[in-house]
Amino acid sequence: MRYDTITEAIGNTPLVRIDPSVHGLRHIDLFAKLEMLNPFGSVKDRPAWFMARPHLQQGAGGDGTVVELSSGNTAKALALLAGMHGLRFRSVTNRMRVPEIKELLLLLGAEIEELPGQSECLDPTDTDDPLTRFHQALSEPDSTYLHTDQYFNPRNVEAHATGTGPEIVKDLDGRVPDWFIACVGTAGSSTGVARVLREHDPRVRVLGLVADKADFIPGIRTIDEVHQVGLFDPATYDSLTSVTSQDAIDGMVTLIRRCGLLSGPTGGAAYRGAVRHLESVDAELAGTGSRRTAVFIVCDRAESYLSYVRRRRPELLGAARRGHSAAALTDGEVRAEGRAVEVGEARRWMADGDPRPLVVDLRGPHAYAALHIEGSVNIVDELFEELVRTGLPFSKRTPVLLACPVGEKSLRYAALLTRMGHPDVRSLAGGVVAWRDAGAPLVRE
Amino acid sequence: MDAPLYLRPRVEPPLASLLQDAPFLHALCDALGSPLNVLLPEVVAENAERFRSVYRRHHLAGRVYFAHKANRSSALVRRLAACDPAAVGIDVASLDELRHALGCGFTGDRVMATGPKDRDFLWLAARVGATVNLDSAGELEQLAHLVRRHGLGRVDVLVRLSEFESDAGPTGSGTRVLSRRSRFGTPVGRSGEVWEALERYADAVELTGLAYHLDTTAPEEKARALERCVLLMDECRGRGLRPRAVDIGGGFGVGYVDDAGEWERWTTALSEAVLGVRPSLTWRGHGYGLRNEGGTVRGTAALYPAHRSVAGPGYLDALLSRPAPALGRPPATLLLEHLNDLYVEPGRALVDQCGLSLARVLDVRPTEEGPARHLVRLGMNAGDVSLEEHGVLVDPVLLPRDGGGDGRRPEPSGGGPVGVHLVGNLCLEADLITRRLVYLPRLPCAGDLLAFVNTAGYVMDFHAHRAQRQPVARTVAVARGEGAWRWCPDEDYWPLTDPQGVPS
Repeated sequence: MRYDTITEAIGNTPLVRIDPSVHGLRHIDLFAKLEMLNPFGSVKDRPAWFMARPHLQQGAGGDGTVVELSSGNTAKALALLAGMHGLRFRSVTNRMRVPEIKELLLLLGAEIEELPGQSECLDPTDTDDPLTRFHQALSEPDSTYLHTDQYFNPRNVEAHATGTGPEIVKDLDGRVPDWFIACVGTAGSSTGVARVLREHDPRVRVLGLVADKADFIPGIRTIDEVHQVGLFDPATYDSLTSVTSQDAIDGMVTLIRRCGLLSGPTGGAAYRGAVRHLESVDAELAGTGSRRTAVFIVCDRAESYLSYVRRRRPELLGAARRGHSAAALTDGEVRAEGRAVEVGEARRWMADGDPRPLVVDLRGPHAYAALHIEGSVNIVDELFEELVRTGLPFSKRTPVLLACPVGEKSLRYAALLTRMGHPDVRSLAGGVVAWRDAGAPLVRE
Repeated sequence: MDAPLYLRPRVEPPLASLLQDAPFLHALCDALGSPLNVLLPEVVAENAERFRSVYRRHHLAGRVYFAHKANRSSALVRRLAACDPAAVGIDVASLDELRHALGCGFTGDRVMATGPKDRDFLWLAARVGATVNLDSAGELEQLAHLVRRHGLGRVDVLVRLSEFESDAGPTGSGTRVLSRRSRFGTPVGRSGEVWEALERYADAVELTGLAYHLDTTAPEEKARALERCVLLMDECRGRGLRPRAVDIGGGFGVGYVDDAGEWERWTTALSEAVLGVRPSLTWRGHGYGLRNEGGTVRGTAALYPAHRSVAGPGYLDALLSRPAPALGRPPATLLLEHLNDLYVEPGRALVDQCGLSLARVLDVRPTEEGPARHLVRLGMNAGDVSLEEHGVLVDPVLLPRDGGGDGRRPEPSGGGPVGVHLVGNLCLEADLITRRLVYLPRLPCAGDLLAFVNTAGYVMDFHAHRAQRQPVARTVAVARGEGAWRWCPDEDYWPLTDPQGVPS
């Protein structure tokens, strides 16, 4: 495979069969359309390229900016496409809730604008909704914005009607699957694929998956939000059902750990939604001797969603912490083994001690730079936690005075270091706050 | 009839037990008339204590300032005045609020003066030793001149900042978080002018902290502003100023509706009604800001998020605990490490569960849409509860005249759930207590009471009962006299006499 440009590598993604021993369906062959293997990493590569191509060819070399309301994969693809054509890309969104995606977009050179939250003291006569303002800015005369408008642009649907849909039919040897299952985001892939499949064989059933209303799954809209999508037409779907973030993560883990498919949560949601729906169909097929086929889409890859997983299912990421840890001490142990010194006593110790104690300030570097005890060194608590895990970071011959804001965290570390065998670690009672309140000197750098 | 779409209120003790004593509430309304606001002053102190417990959890010092504008009540202010002076203060936004707070027992040093201020307000605030939350360099100048001219003591001031969205400076985290433009505060980009003015008027004012108020429910914007303030505090200290507190304003929210499912079902049904796939949920198909454009819902629902899983002190806790956008450490840690006190100014959240509004049912009749929808006319008007002004959607609690459905009274029209439009006592088509079709467990009768939970606490604020204690317009009658206009107060005018009392 040799290409002149990366955009030629968009599309023609594999259709991979899910092992029946994983999904447990006895009369249905379930296939995953691996859109995550598009060059920019998602199903959105297709519509992004299809929608942007006319703009990019026109605007190349100019000073235009491609703008889109996107929280993730469309923005990612558009940012790369814009960059290839010497244009800038700006994403406007109120849905960017996954930090890795935000950082990835910044790496790609995107400008990100996050829309403000709702007003706390509501003004029901306010007509100034942020999206209206956004659209006004786009239509100003002399605007150099190229708006791809994924929620209303028919080329979003076309990309799938000319690509994704026909590819599925081709890979099933000219047959149409009995079931097509897709998560509804812009409704582009579900609408485009459904149209092509129905043209081939109107008996295909289309299942649309939306996110549970109180939940959040990247790339999937809730039942209310789909009504705001211009491409969404309820007639496209034989049924709509909702999935939760827990479904999404369960499905993702199954696809990753059992199928070798490095799917993100949207693909996981599609898989779980598909299997749950097909289980009843499968039961009805028992004894009829007939087989059915179903296809779902794996939209993107797992790597960008680690914080999403960490927040909802931390046990999937965290092996138990090993080594020494201040958090492992009980409050009673901290009180019994931690030694604290009052401000006055600490000042005398620092002036007359032999050897003088090393003063360690556990606060953040900005706070330390702003104001600290003269002669102290700054080791931020997070770093200190790492340091002590594997051993004592100070010689046992060096006495140590630990300081934190109120003397609570430092007492915990004092107890831990004492337990680890350091003979003279003390915590500044009341912390830097007490030090300040006692009128003891603080310096800034 | 469609399945009833309830939005039942969150009711906690002691309000819940008050609501169970229908005979008492009926007796109150019989004696004092409808509408009637009933307050529970003890609850406001309990709410302040809940905020204080968040402070303690994060080892933070500083005060909780009640935003007086939330409610004009004396009982609430007096109850708060009786709280620990070091823990609870009051935020006043008008001259009369300041006078009221002082009259209710707050000493000047527990008062924060915010909002738009005239000279009288500034003078009295400075005179009693209140902290003045400065809106601009111009206001600082005005205050400083007053202090000098009238020989007042040095006044503690906070500087209120705004427009944190620009990313210049050490907190740039790549993305631009847009914020609604505010009329209040000095843009961060122009804060240099304020620092210079503070230095110029050092004899008259002393900077004790920085403040912001963002009109948003989004913690992202607040966390960013908070973090920026912590860093600006250090900048001020670097200039030799000695600020101590960061005032993060209010906006902690209240959950009005108890059940998330009810709220979700109702808002989904609203979208569907706007699209025309189900019957309207509102008077004349009002869409609360949503509209149907070719089968797609456009616009934003102008509704207060009536069900909130995190609100009030819980919201403060969450805000203080989430990582800050640039420095990564939670705001509580930043405040503590940088040796800053925290001020908050909750209004709505502090009067949560503090009261209810009672309205007598005056008349019940079916609408043209059939027996499934009734008009219920109340002894109250839209201005008395302001539910629509605030986009707050919550059902009233039905308090039957006889004290409950114990069978002593014949059940009207089958007795099941019924959809009603609650209309007010004004002769005005627009006087609807709520534009929404409200479902009640059964049809009320004339003489029953409806209790709107929480409205006496907050929703009555700006619109009902002159909560902010700004003066109301006086009315005068004028007449053309001999070569000049003459006037008299409206109430003194009679057609027989000259306005100045000279017989004509």
